[in-house]
Amino acid sequence: MSDTLLQVEDLRVRFDQRGRRVYAVNGLSYRLRAGQMLAIVGESGSGKTVSSRALMGLLPPSATVTGSARIDGVELVGMPEPEMRRHRGADIAMIFQDPTRSLNPTMRIGAQITEAIRAHARVEKDAARARAMELLSLVRISDPQRRFYEYPHQLSGGMRQRVMIAIALASDPKLLIADEATTALDVTTQAQIMDLLGELRSRLGTAIILISHDLGLAASYADDVIVMYAGRAVEYAPTRTLFAKMRMPYTRALLDAIPRLERQSHARLPITPGQPPDLTALPPGCAFEPRCARATPQCRTSRPPFAQHEVGHWWACWNPCKDGEPV
Amino acid sequence: MLGSPSLRLVGKRLLMAVPIVLGVSILTFWVLNLIPGNAAQQLLGPEASPDQIQQLEEEMGLNRPQVVRYLDWLGGAVHGDLGTSLVSRQPVTDELGPRLAVSGEVVGLAFLISLGLAIPVSLLAARWPNRMLDRISMVVSTTGLSVANYVFALLLVLLFAVQLAWFPAIGYTPLSESVTGNLRSLALPAIAIAFPLFCFYTRFLRSDLVDQMQGEDYIMTARAKGIGPWQVLLRHAFRNSAFGLITIVGLNLSTLIGATVIIEQIFALPGIGQMLLQAINTRDFIVVQACVIVFAIITVLANLLADLLYAVLDPRIRYGSN
Repeated sequence: MSDTLLQVEDLRVRFDQRGRRVYAVNGLSYRLRAGQMLAIVGESGSGKTVSSRALMGLLPPSATVTGSARIDGVELVGMPEPEMRRHRGADIAMIFQDPTRSLNPTMRIGAQITEAIRAHARVEKDAARARAMELLSLVRISDPQRRFYEYPHQLSGGMRQRVMIAIALASDPKLLIADEATTALDVTTQAQIMDLLGELRSRLGTAIILISHDLGLAASYADDVIVMYAGRAVEYAPTRTLFAKMRMPYTRALLDAIPRLERQSHARLPITPGQPPDLTALPPGCAFEPRCARATPQCRTSRPPFAQHEVGHWWACWNPCKDGEPV
Repeated sequence: MLGSPSLRLVGKRLLMAVPIVLGVSILTFWVLNLIPGNAAQQLLGPEASPDQIQQLEEEMGLNRPQVVRYLDWLGGAVHGDLGTSLVSRQPVTDELGPRLAVSGEVVGLAFLISLGLAIPVSLLAARWPNRMLDRISMVVSTTGLSVANYVFALLLVLLFAVQLAWFPAIGYTPLSESVTGNLRSLALPAIAIAFPLFCFYTRFLRSDLVDQMQGEDYIMTARAKGIGPWQVLLRHAFRNSAFGLITIVGLNLSTLIGATVIIEQIFALPGIGQMLLQAINTRDFIVVQACVIVFAIITVLANLLADLLYAVLDPRIRYGSN
């Protein structure tokens, strides 16, 4: 495809910590078009955050990244730090989960934005300030003239996340990674931020990777969804296809765990039994097998390949759910 | 930048200092009276007859009850008159000025040296944690913290004054006499005080910086912007560490005053610490009172200053706004 912005192939990340070897990402592949919104969904420790930080070279020194991730054809894996820094913020930007902690409490909002502007362009102070005001208006912060000189603690959580988005957009990145960007916000603010991201995507053409544990959020906003488990993609499809014909039992389990209005009140939510797998010693078979209701002996001994079984719909399962069939 | 709430804080804290200083003076007076012997006995020596001692005690007013003597002293003190030395018969305030200047210079130099070294060393160590410089700085500062400053002072004298003869071992050259001579005479005492401080500050600052660089989300944000590692360290991590450092420096000042008493003794510096020690030996309670009051006021002011600096630097703290 010609309009491929990001191509990730067999991405692997492992951490070596005091003799323990943690396999966090184990061969992740996906493709992102310019202006596309892709959701990467999974529970804590599924590798969604680690894999996206690997793209930006923001992992601690204990991490080893292998495989390939190319943005506009430029290989990011193994890129030396000084060169990586030129891409960081300029090509790929990131916003984080907790806007309260992601902004420096001791710096004015304006200084934190202009710093990002001036990181990649030789801009005079006045021009940077003007651009920062523009960005603040772009993310719908009222009274940018005043907010520019305020400190993070003077802003609400939603406004802080808007400031984070303004910082991320400072150098017009091609890709914006939103790492659980709405998790720490209340539902109303969450919807506002998501709407803002969607609007910015269509206005600026920025591709967005939406990292979330919330399958519902992905359903509402993303074009495509990747479901990750134990550092691997287990299901990948356009959002509409995925929700119409869910194949992976794990994806079903995630969906069933979402509370719904139409369900009887005070009924217990279905819970996926067991624990996420130990990433220091992954089983030879399917990593979800110990928790899976559809598991067969085959699942324990050999790992199902992640393959395109239907047009545009990839999954890794020996016993996929049929259309409309319960788990 | 400060506005009226901060001014009100200053007023409140200065008012609070009054009972503190008063309490310190009462305590000092009482403790001094528990020490056997008084100024009259000390002045006349062991050979003196009881009659002679009694006569001098009456002259000095030492035969009056404790409370009366204290109130008498207090009456003068609130008018700025700290009394007349029982031994030298000179007004205490006349002697305090030049002595304070000497001690102030030593402490000031020690601060300059310790912070001037601790900040760059910590930054370098935190820039490359667990590498050579970081490890060396950790070993040095851990060692330095476990050596008492008077032991270190004697080692300095042995090496730089006795062996190498770069600096004088003892004595003080006034600034008015010779600037270089003055600095040379204060170099060893200032280093002796500065070294443990340097170790302390380095340990604190280095670990605070490393913790931030590894754990704080705003550091991740800064790095994600694509700015350089030094800029991340200086603009983001160091700025936040500075608050903790200021508090520690402010609290340290009172410990420092204790250090000057010993160090001035070792290097025969005519500072306020030496003045205090001599006065205790001669039971010159007027002078002791004056020195202790000065120490108490400095401590209170230093803590206040640290709090104010904190408020100026940290936008989240605006006193009195609740």
